[in-house]
Amino acid sequence: MRTLRRFFSRFWNLTMLRHDDERLHEEIAGHIALQTEENLRAGLQPAEARRQALLKFGGVESVKESYRAARSLPGIEALFEDLRFAVRMLRKAPGFTAVAVLTLALGIGANTAIFSIVDAVLVRPFSYPHANQLVLLFDAPLKQPEALTAFSYRDFKALREQNHAFSEIAGNAFHDLTLSGAGEASVVNTADVTPGIFSMLGVKPLEGRTLVSEDGKRGAAPVAVVSESLWRSRFGANPNLVGKSITLDMRSFRIVGILPASFRYPDGAAHQDVWIPIAQDPLFGPLLSRPGVPVMGVIGRLKSDVSLAQARTEVRTLSARFAKEFPAQDKGLTIRLLPYHQFVVGNLKPALLILLGAVGLVLLIACANVSNLLLSRAISRGREIALRRALGASHGRIVRQLLTESALLGLLGGSAGVLLAVWGVWSLQSLLPADLTRIGAIHVGAPVLVFALVLSLSASLTFGLAPALLATASNLQANIQEDGPHAGRRRGQLMRSFLTVAEISLAVVLLIGGGLLLRSFAVVTSVNPGFDPRNLIRAEVSLPQFQYSKPQQWVSFANELLARLHAQPGLQDSALGAPLPMDRQGEASFPFTIAGNPPLPPGKTHAADYATVSPEYFHVMRIPLLRGRFFTQEDLSSNPNVAIISETLAERYFPNQDPLGRQMRFGFPPNGNVLREIVGIVGDVRDTALSQKPGPIMYVPFAQAPLYGAEVVVRSSLSASSVAAGIRQAVQSIDKNLPVTDIERFPDALDASISRQRLWTSLLDAFSAIALILAGVGIFGVVSYAASQRTREIGIRMALGAQPRDVLRLILTQGAKLALLGLGFGIVAALALTRLMTSMLYGVSSADPVTFASVAILLVAVAMLAGYIPARRTMGIDPMIALRYE
Amino acid sequence: MAERGSHKQDVQQGTLGLMILKTLDVLGPLHGYGIARRIEQISHDVLAVNQGTLYPLLLKLEQEGAISSEWGASENNRRARFYRLTRRGHRMLESEARDWKQTEAIIARFLQLKSEDLR
Repeated sequence: MRTLRRFFSRFWNLTMLRHDDERLHEEIAGHIALQTEENLRAGLQPAEARRQALLKFGGVESVKESYRAARSLPGIEALFEDLRFAVRMLRKAPGFTAVAVLTLALGIGANTAIFSIVDAVLVRPFSYPHANQLVLLFDAPLKQPEALTAFSYRDFKALREQNHAFSEIAGNAFHDLTLSGAGEASVVNTADVTPGIFSMLGVKPLEGRTLVSEDGKRGAAPVAVVSESLWRSRFGANPNLVGKSITLDMRSFRIVGILPASFRYPDGAAHQDVWIPIAQDPLFGPLLSRPGVPVMGVIGRLKSDVSLAQARTEVRTLSARFAKEFPAQDKGLTIRLLPYHQFVVGNLKPALLILLGAVGLVLLIACANVSNLLLSRAISRGREIALRRALGASHGRIVRQLLTESALLGLLGGSAGVLLAVWGVWSLQSLLPADLTRIGAIHVGAPVLVFALVLSLSASLTFGLAPALLATASNLQANIQEDGPHAGRRRGQLMRSFLTVAEISLAVVLLIGGGLLLRSFAVVTSVNPGFDPRNLIRAEVSLPQFQYSKPQQWVSFANELLARLHAQPGLQDSALGAPLPMDRQGEASFPFTIAGNPPLPPGKTHAADYATVSPEYFHVMRIPLLRGRFFTQEDLSSNPNVAIISETLAERYFPNQDPLGRQMRFGFPPNGNVLREIVGIVGDVRDTALSQKPGPIMYVPFAQAPLYGAEVVVRSSLSASSVAAGIRQAVQSIDKNLPVTDIERFPDALDASISRQRLWTSLLDAFSAIALILAGVGIFGVVSYAASQRTREIGIRMALGAQPRDVLRLILTQGAKLALLGLGFGIVAALALTRLMTSMLYGVSSADPVTFASVAILLVAVAMLAGYIPARRTMGIDPMIALRYE
Repeated sequence: MAERGSHKQDVQQGTLGLMILKTLDVLGPLHGYGIARRIEQISHDVLAVNQGTLYPLLLKLEQEGAISSEWGASENNRRARFYRLTRRGHRMLESEARDWKQTEAIIARFLQLKSEDLR
C-alpha cells in the first residue's frame, strides 16, 4: 500500500518536475539561512557564519540528486531524458533520419499492408458461430479422390438419417431465377437450400422466420426468404413484406422472412437475394427424385465431441454401405470431408504466407540498411560516446541511450509505415480479386495496428542492438583521441560488410521469387486462349422455367433471338453458347462413353467439358476447325445427333485413330444416353482459366441439346454499351419480361480469371523492387564509407603513381566482392525457397535458369552502379589533400 | 553549532524516519532545519543529520502520507517549509516504535547472551 502510494505520488511528480526543483531550492536556501543566523548568534563573522553553514550542509548537488531520485521514477525519467536526447540527435541529422525512417516505413508499411489481408482472410474468424465444426461433404471416385462432386438427394437423405457424427447436415445449390412483377423483371441470385442450413449456420432473421423442415417437404406451399438488400432495393424496405408473395420464374412464393444483409453462404460467395427450399426450385426440384444425379453441395456441423478423423471414419463406413445398397450409382464412390475453413481459404493460404514471408524479408533488408546507417553513425559518434563513458556513464546506460534512439526511429518508421499501409490497402482494393474481399473486409484495424507496433519495436531491436553494442565496446582512449588504431572501426567495417552481404542475399531471393512470378504471369497472359477475345462481348439470357418449360420453346426462342440479333447492323457476328469459356471451374467432369470401345471398368469414367452452341459459335469465337465440319442449320433435333470434339479430346481418347464418324454417348439427363456422331475436330480452348491447360471439350448443336437460356456472344466493333443495348432490345422485343444479365467484355472476363496471379505478381514484384533499391543503397553506403576511410591510402597510392583507373578498380572490387558473395548465398537460398511457391507458378520451373540468370545480371549491374558513384569520387582525389586528411 | 568530533556518528540507516516522526509528534510542526537541529540536540550532539538524506526522506514520508507540508514563516520571519505529522503518520509512528522496541529488546537479549544460558 505504501509502495503503491509512493509510486503514484512519484508518477505525479514526473509531471511536476520544475515545481519541485524550486521547492527544494527554496528549502535548501532556507536551511542554510537559518544555520547562518544561528552561527551569527554564536558569534561568528557574517562571512564565516555562511561558510560554516554551507560546509555543514554539504554537497548541494548531491542532495538535489538524491532528492530527485526519491522524488520520481528514475527509470522513466531517464527514458524521457533519453527520448529528448534522441529527438535532438535525430533532428541534428535530418538526412540520416529521413533515409532511415523512409526505409523502415517501406518495410513496416509493406508488412502491415500484407498483414491486413492475412488478418482479414486467415486470422479473423468466420461469421458463423463455432465455424470450426463446419465441414463440407463431397462425393468422389475412390480412384480419383481429388475429383470432388456434388451429392445426389438420395445420398444426402441417407447420410443425414444414418450418421451419428453430425448434429446437422444441410444441402445447398445456386440458381438464378427471374423475379417479375412489381417493376422490371430481374434476375435474382437464389440459394436453394434444405431448411436445416439456417439453424446450422446460426443466422437469425431480421423479420419473420427462416425456413422450417415442413417447407422442405415436396408438395409444401412454396415459401421464400429474402435478403435485407433485396428488401431495401426492390421492395423499398416495406415493413409489411413478410406474408406477401413474389413471383420467381412465373411461380408465386410467399415471403416468410428477411435475412440480414451480412449473411451469406459460403463466405466469399456472391451476394444472395432469395433463399427457397431446394424442392421448390424449378430446375433442381424435379431432379431430387432421380437417384445418382448430383444436385447439391452439402455442409455439416460436427457434434461438439466428434473429431474430424472420427467423422471421416464414419462416412467411409456409410459410403461403403451406400455402394452396396445402390450399386448402380454409388459403386466406386466415397464421401470426402473438407473442413469449411480449408475450403474457403485453402488455396489462398500458401500464397498469402509466401507473401508474408516475402515482406518479412523486405523488412529484414530494411533493418540491415538502417543498421548499416547506425553503424557508420555510431562510429562517427565514437568520440561523443567515449566522452560520455569517461564522464562516468556505464556501458549499459549508453546502450540504452542508443537503443532509445533506435526505438524512436522504429516508431517513426512504423507510423509512416502505417500511413503507407493505409494508402496501400486503399489502392489495392481495386486489384483484389472479388472472392478474396468477400471473405472479409480488408482494412487497417486494431489487430493490424498492434502488429505494426510490435513489428516496429522488434525491428528497432533488430537493427539497433548490434551497432549499440559495437559502439560502446570500442577502445575508449583511441576514440577520444580520434586517431591511432581504429579497432572499433575495423570491426564496424566487418559488420557492415556482413550486413550488406546478408541484405543482398535476401534481395536476390525476393528478386528471383518476383521474377518467377513475373515470368509465369507473362506466360499466362501471352497464352493463346484458343479463341479471339478481342471485341467480344457476352451477355446472359435465362428463360423462366414455368413459362418456358418445353425444350422446343427454348429452341424457338434461341432461333428468334439470333434472327433478331443478326438483323441489327453491327451485331451480325453473334452466336449462342452455354457455358462459355471462363464460366466453369475445376476439372472437366461431364461423363461420356465411346461407342465401339470395350466397357470401362467400374469407378473409371471418361470425362470432358460440355457445351451446347449455335452453328455460328465457332466462327464468332474464331475457334479454328481442324478437320471435318462445323455445325450447320441442318443439325436439328429431327436429324441425326452430331458432336464436335476438341483437339485434346481427340488426342486423349482417340489415340492413333480417326475420331471422325465415331460415336460418343453423353448428354444431360433428359436425353442423357444419346449417341452422337463426331463430325468435326476444333482447336483447344482454355475454358476454366487462362492459367489452366485446355481440357477435353465436346460441343453439341443447341438445336439438338437446348437449354432454358443461353449466353449470347457478339463480336462487334461497336462500343460495349451499344452492343449491350442491342442485345437487350432484341431480347425484350421477344419478351419484355426477360432480363439480360452479366454483360461483360470478354477480355475483362479473361482478366478476372487471372486476377489472383496478377495480384500476387504485382505485390511480389513491388516488394522485390523495394528490396533491390534497398540493397543498392546498402552497397552504396558501404562502398562510399570505405572509400572515405581509405582517402589517405588512396592519396599515397596516387602519390606513388597509381592511375585513377587503378584506384577506381580498387574501390569497385570491394563492392563487387560483397555483391558476388551475396549473390551466391542468395541463389542457394532461392533454390531452396522458391520450391515453396511451385503452386503459384505457371509454365515456369521454380529453378528457371533464365530467371536466375537475369536476376544475377540485374543485381551485379545495380551493385556496380551503386559502387561506381562513390568510387568515382575517389578518382578526383588530390594526393596532397588526401595525405593531409585526418 | 557543534564541532565535528570523532565521536560523532551519522544517523543509522532506517532510523532517521522514525526520529523525524517522533520529533514532529512531540514538538509539532517544524521546518527541515528545525528537525535536523532537534534530532542533533536530543542526541546531545552525538548524531549528525545528513542533509542529503533528510530532505529526500521528508519527501518520501510525505509521499507515503505520513507527514504533510506547507510554506510558513520561521521564528524570525523567514520563509520555510513546515512539516506536520498526519493521522496516518501517527499510526505509522506507533507501529514503527513498537517494531523498534521489539528489535531493541531482541538485540539486548542477544547482547546479554552468555554461553551458559544455552546449556
